[in-house]
Amino acid sequence: MQKIIKLLSFVMLLPIFFVGCADEQDFDQINDLEVIPTVEASLFFLETPEQLINLVTGVNFYSQTFTFTAFEEQFFADNVLEGVITYELENTTSKPLVIQVDFLDAGDNILDTENFSLVPAPTAVLTREVTYGDGGRSIDVIKMTTNIRISATNLGDNSSVSSLPSPKVVLRSSGRFKVQLVE
Amino acid sequence: MIDPKKFIIFLLLGSFFVHAQNKQLLYDFLEIPQSLLLNPGMKTKHKWHVGVPVFSGIYANAGSSGISVNDIFANDGIDINTKIRERAVFGLSRRDFFTGSFQIDVFNGGFRNPNKPQDFYSIGAYLEWDFILYWPEDLAILALDGNANQLGRRFNIGDLKTRGELVSVSHIGINKVISKELTIGVRGKLYSSILDFNSSRNSGSFVTNPGQNNILSSTLDADIELRTSGIQSINDDNTDLSDLLIKRAIFGGNLGLGLDVGFTYNLNKQTSISGSILDIGFIYHTKDVQTFTLNGAATTEGVEIVLPGDLVNTSGDFFQEIVDEIEELIPFEENDDNYISFRPTKAYGAIRYDFGEPSQNQEDCNCDYRVKDNEIYEGYLNSVGGQVYLINRPRGPQAAITAFYQRRLGKFLNVRTSYTIDSFSFTNIGLGLNLRAGPVNFYILGDNLLSYRNIPDSRYASFQLGLNIISWGNNR
Repeated sequence: MQKIIKLLSFVMLLPIFFVGCADEQDFDQINDLEVIPTVEASLFFLETPEQLINLVTGVNFYSQTFTFTAFEEQFFADNVLEGVITYELENTTSKPLVIQVDFLDAGDNILDTENFSLVPAPTAVLTREVTYGDGGRSIDVIKMTTNIRISATNLGDNSSVSSLPSPKVVLRSSGRFKVQLVE
Repeated sequence: MIDPKKFIIFLLLGSFFVHAQNKQLLYDFLEIPQSLLLNPGMKTKHKWHVGVPVFSGIYANAGSSGISVNDIFANDGIDINTKIRERAVFGLSRRDFFTGSFQIDVFNGGFRNPNKPQDFYSIGAYLEWDFILYWPEDLAILALDGNANQLGRRFNIGDLKTRGELVSVSHIGINKVISKELTIGVRGKLYSSILDFNSSRNSGSFVTNPGQNNILSSTLDADIELRTSGIQSINDDNTDLSDLLIKRAIFGGNLGLGLDVGFTYNLNKQTSISGSILDIGFIYHTKDVQTFTLNGAATTEGVEIVLPGDLVNTSGDFFQEIVDEIEELIPFEENDDNYISFRPTKAYGAIRYDFGEPSQNQEDCNCDYRVKDNEIYEGYLNSVGGQVYLINRPRGPQAAITAFYQRRLGKFLNVRTSYTIDSFSFTNIGLGLNLRAGPVNFYILGDNLLSYRNIPDSRYASFQLGLNIISWGNNR
């Protein structure tokens, strides 16, 4: 029993010998911390049936400017570093078409334009990626955009109808952006 | 807005200083009056005690279950971004947590009923802060990497769980010897909440999938609630903070009631079992209440213009319509509805075996009040035992088990060491000293001492100390 008590006493006092040591810490490392997630989401989508294109006289069958304030949200505009906008266009109509996307600032000045020439169906889906920042176009285009204008032009006739089911032209888009949360 | 960098340092440094309220060294340390706070049914040995105001009981702890200061800030040449990614964001799980608490006695006293010496009454008040934040695993990954190239991954926003409270507790209790074998105790508590926040019943997810029309669809399904009380007026620049805090501490805050119960049962002369349940109670929050909710579900594929239907929309407010629709489907709302918060209930259970040379004056009474007049009863020289501890937390109970050994060295010093296994460590050795100089009692207890070999590498530590005046005689 005495031995047990001595052993327990030793164990009891053992921690004292360890008190007060510390590896070197460098709290300034926190200044090197960067948190830059990449976020992505759909941006805008346009679908026009060939039937409607045939009904509209003139070549410009659709033009719409709409507000798009996602980019000008203060946090996003202040912290976005670079991004890629992906477009997918699908033309199943019988007509050659041109789709134009304009990025506008608050004064409706054009910051950037993207043109898509679509041949009549059958044709493959047109996919295009446009880079902003990091060697691409200026990221300021994204930061300053408050409106987007989509225009569609018919370079064909107003009577033909594609033999494909539900002929239409479709524009899909998404954005993928690097945003600096912590710098 | 909270600076993320300062928040990281706060969490990790917090984990270095102070553990989930387990006071395993103090529990059943019969020579220290404050151990009565952990078991109102412990065997009280003294006639009366008065704590030195503010200094009678000071306790602080903090812990992190999965990471230490050293893991992130060691000067080891590894890029901090790599350490944050590997050791925190992808090294911790949603069951890991950061916690801290402190408790300061405002006053503490107790006395034995002169006419009924089997009854010992205690009274006191203390200030208590308790905080826990579970690691928001999926939200941390989302913040670090974003949702790009994560198609179909459902980020769990229910990972957000936290609670914290600053409360003053006034208490009065009775400890009663029922028989030679059994001592029981009960303590009533009046809580006055100074501030409270909790967000622990959250659920929902954020997921990005291939869209039906557009390239991607983003879906947020949220049921999030943050309840607070006492915080709004603290943020008010016109508030005299010290006046406000003092007023709230003295029954001017949100009030609640609670109960502690405990017992000790002597299996034989040298062996006893004991147990207690602490803070069975609630606080009803009616003042300065602010509750924020985000509840609903929405899916978006961006601005959608489908002709000819949208030809009629010439305003061009497609984007704002989406925003409005999402805000309608997932409204962020605020209310001041009263709410009830339950205290983090704790439970102890223990078995203790006393052995070695017993001191003089021992009666066959197992060291309670039935000792001879005005003589200090020392009891046995040694004690060993085991304890279990449970605390109720937002993700369910947390547990710890402890083995302890206590030895009396002369008439003035009691030393206790403990070995504890819990969520923080498998190598937690603690040490407690209780000194007695006449009527003056001083104690200091600290644990996880092995981690002091490299303090920043410690995932948790706690200490407690106190100063009391004790009369060891009895009144018979």
